Amino acid sequence: MALLPSPIRVSLLALALVATPVLAAPLDAAGVKAVLVELDDRQRNGGDYKALVYLEQKEKDKADTVREALIYRRDADDKLMILFARPKAEQGKGYLRLDKNLWMYDPNTGRWERRTERERIAGTDSRRADFDESRLADEYDARYVEEGKLGKFSTHMLELKAKEGVDVAYPVLKLWVDQASGNILKRQEFALSGKLMRTSLYPKWQKLFSESKGSDVWYPQEIRIYDEVEKANSTVVLIKQVDLRSLDANLFTKAWLESKSR
Amino acid sequence: MGQLRVLWQIALRNLFASKINVIIGFIILGGTFLVVLGGSMLDSMDAAMSRSIIGSVAGHIQVYSSQSKEALALFGNMGGEAEISALDDFSKVKKTLETVPNVERVVPMGINAALVQSGNTIDLTLGELRGVLNHLRDEGESPERREKAESLKAHVRQQVEVLKADIAKARLISKASAEDAEDAAVIERVSSEAFWKEFETRPFDQMEYLENRLAPMVSDADLLYLRYAGTDLKAFQKNFDRMRIVDGAPVPDGERGFLFAKLFYEETLKLKSARRLDKIKEARDIKSKRIATDDELKRWVKENSTQTREFLLQLDGIKTRELVARLQKHLGSKETELSALLGSFFTTTDENFDARYAFFYEQVAPLLQLYRVRVGDTLSIQAFTKTGYMQSVNLKVYGTFMFEGLEKSDMAGGLNLMDLVSFRELYGYLTAEKKAEIAELKKKSGSREIAREGAEDALFGEDAKVVEASATPGLIDDSASFGDTAQALRNKELASRVYSQDEIDQGVVLSAAVMLKDPTRIQETIAEIHAAAERDKVPLKAVSWQEASGLIGQFVLMAKLILYFAVFVIFIVALVIINNAMMMATLRRVHEIGTMRAIGAQRAFVLSLVLMETVVLGLLFGGLGMLFGSGLVGWLHSVGIPAGNDALLFFFSGPRLFPSLTVGNLVAAFVIVMLVSAISTLYPALIATRVSPLRAMQAEE
Repeated sequence: MALLPSPIRVSLLALALVATPVLAAPLDAAGVKAVLVELDDRQRNGGDYKALVYLEQKEKDKADTVREALIYRRDADDKLMILFARPKAEQGKGYLRLDKNLWMYDPNTGRWERRTERERIAGTDSRRADFDESRLADEYDARYVEEGKLGKFSTHMLELKAKEGVDVAYPVLKLWVDQASGNILKRQEFALSGKLMRTSLYPKWQKLFSESKGSDVWYPQEIRIYDEVEKANSTVVLIKQVDLRSLDANLFTKAWLESKSR
Repeated sequence: MGQLRVLWQIALRNLFASKINVIIGFIILGGTFLVVLGGSMLDSMDAAMSRSIIGSVAGHIQVYSSQSKEALALFGNMGGEAEISALDDFSKVKKTLETVPNVERVVPMGINAALVQSGNTIDLTLGELRGVLNHLRDEGESPERREKAESLKAHVRQQVEVLKADIAKARLISKASAEDAEDAAVIERVSSEAFWKEFETRPFDQMEYLENRLAPMVSDADLLYLRYAGTDLKAFQKNFDRMRIVDGAPVPDGERGFLFAKLFYEETLKLKSARRLDKIKEARDIKSKRIATDDELKRWVKENSTQTREFLLQLDGIKTRELVARLQKHLGSKETELSALLGSFFTTTDENFDARYAFFYEQVAPLLQLYRVRVGDTLSIQAFTKTGYMQSVNLKVYGTFMFEGLEKSDMAGGLNLMDLVSFRELYGYLTAEKKAEIAELKKKSGSREIAREGAEDALFGEDAKVVEASATPGLIDDSASFGDTAQALRNKELASRVYSQDEIDQGVVLSAAVMLKDPTRIQETIAEIHAAAERDKVPLKAVSWQEASGLIGQFVLMAKLILYFAVFVIFIVALVIINNAMMMATLRRVHEIGTMRAIGAQRAFVLSLVLMETVVLGLLFGGLGMLFGSGLVGWLHSVGIPAGNDALLFFFSGPRLFPSLTVGNLVAAFVIVMLVSAISTLYPALIATRVSPLRAMQAEE
């Protein structure tokens, strides 16, 4: 959202609010844009955001791994930190997103490494964007594909293409948005060649009232990510708890993360 | 006996009677000569290569877990590492192997690979500066630290100047985009005095700004694919006589450390321009190529003269001025800009190349960091362990090494070495304790198992409800989630301690090299090892060095097959020629043979007569061929055959091959020549026996 000047943001928001009740029909371009803005807005928090998550990874010929991590977000400044807490050997490792940089820190070596948008977070099938604030409207142009059904749910299917010059993990997305609740149920990501790379399912959404935002903040309680290249690999992200209290002012700095394992 | 003497006399008399015999003689001479020479070359090459491979990593026999999915490949497979199961405890394996009488020594091993990320030139400088600033904060002021910090700051400011000049140049060429304007604003800020004044009081805030805004403007970051063998370095250095330290020193006994393979170090970590200079020199000196005529050399010269940016970013202000002065003097130029000076310095020709090469290493290189990782530096290696978690270690680089004879082989020259303890850490064996911890975490996460195939139906079917009730606001106490200081201290202590032999021996390995007392009994010993493993219930599979070395081992086998095939073809051709020649010779002698038959010679006598003539020919000319062949091998043995290209360097296992002759080569040549001549004469001889005396006499009339 930060990329858009605020008057546009407000008017888009208003449009989104107007558009919500009449979602249950094929959408025109403005409707599609409104859906994206709405998706972003409902997951955004005005203030800080902290979540306790579990990452479970299944990989071919390997034992399953589980990680407990903390996600810290300050959406107003586009800042994100993922800090691993368990198992013990993972403690203190983390990712820090500052501006367009994604840094990885490992307390075993005391080094910072610059990573790309395509980084597999801790080697799982998740990407930075799965944990971060949703910025679909800023990063992609959307097109309406069709109305459809996903199980018992009626959905809008949208196709998103990354805007020029925006660095994202996947340039093309397909979204299945629940007509009734306005939540994403399914998301497919494609390489530029059109090859399907990942499929994610969002079977549970929760909302939480945020005082700083003055409305609800939505979050997916569960994300099931399937690797479409290595078919045997998959990741489950479980968001156990969300805490919207303010965070330490210096939290999103290298020095803070370093201090946690010194 | 008497008959044999008569046959012998006739054969000797006929030896030079016809020209055809002489031709056949020379074919036999040439064939023998080739067999002697080729056989000796092949055997010498085989011996040289097996010595290099056995003496570098393989040993005579390699053992690994019989439960492995794939076969061991010490020099790697196409497309990655072979999947080898771990052997839990090397000390047990060692004990079992040592019960086999022919086993002399056992060296533990494990081969794995990791990706090493290295930031761009500014990232590296800032990383170093951050380290020094951390030291200053945690351990207090010291004049050396302060001086180091100041010098690094000066370096960063020089890098800012380089970027500033870039932007100014870019503006001249094209209109600035919004992004360029943003970059220019950043440059403006970090080149101001105010920024650096603030650095004195708030260094870490300013560092973040530099790291997040300035550093991303440079895009020369590197990703290294690092293949390494973890081993008991002391035992390795003692047992593998082909290993030689090139730079630095061996890793002290029991300590942790890393040694780069020299070829890998040169190819991937050296400053690209310097590496290209080395390659041009090698091409000129060894392969006699010339810049004026060779396209590849021309390309290297061009790349060197245009790609000078790394120099500009690497040097701080003082060194930049120093280098400018030195280049101006050498080139006799008044140019003041370093990039222009470097451009003309690197535009080398065949005439000035040697002088500039020498000048580069004497005057330019000392100002530069020639290698991205220097001997004495710490290397951070990060690998995905077998448990699926990422593990990383910091290892001191003690030096570089090479395997003599394999120094030019990409496969062998790409295998680096580290201590076994670090290898085990990066390999990450799943212990019972770790398994329990993961199981507990899994329980805590409360995730449900849903099969991938039916996931959509299960999650979005009739009973599904995607919107849950409002969540209770969480109060997450993360204070218990961070690493403790004790852990960090323990890591530090573990990294610097000296490990005892027992600690090195007791633990996971992937394979072990076995040195034999009698290397000729490889196959028998493999059988004995299998028997011993079965007896002690250790899941071991033993393979010969050829098998273990994968592609390289097969290369030797392949070369042998090709040479044997070539010899085979040569002799088939010889066989046909000799056969034809003998046919002609026999037909010419129909009258003579008929006369012999008429005066009572039996068919067996005629047959023996023709065969004996060939045998005498074979003996004489074959003997001469062997003599010439041996003479040439003897001469080559004293002067050596130079390896003109990389492939030959590999096959010769060194810059020169000194072939030697064995009795086996001579016997083989003799037997082959006699057999070929006998076989090729058989048919003409049979025809000769069928000559009817009557018709032979009539033909004359």
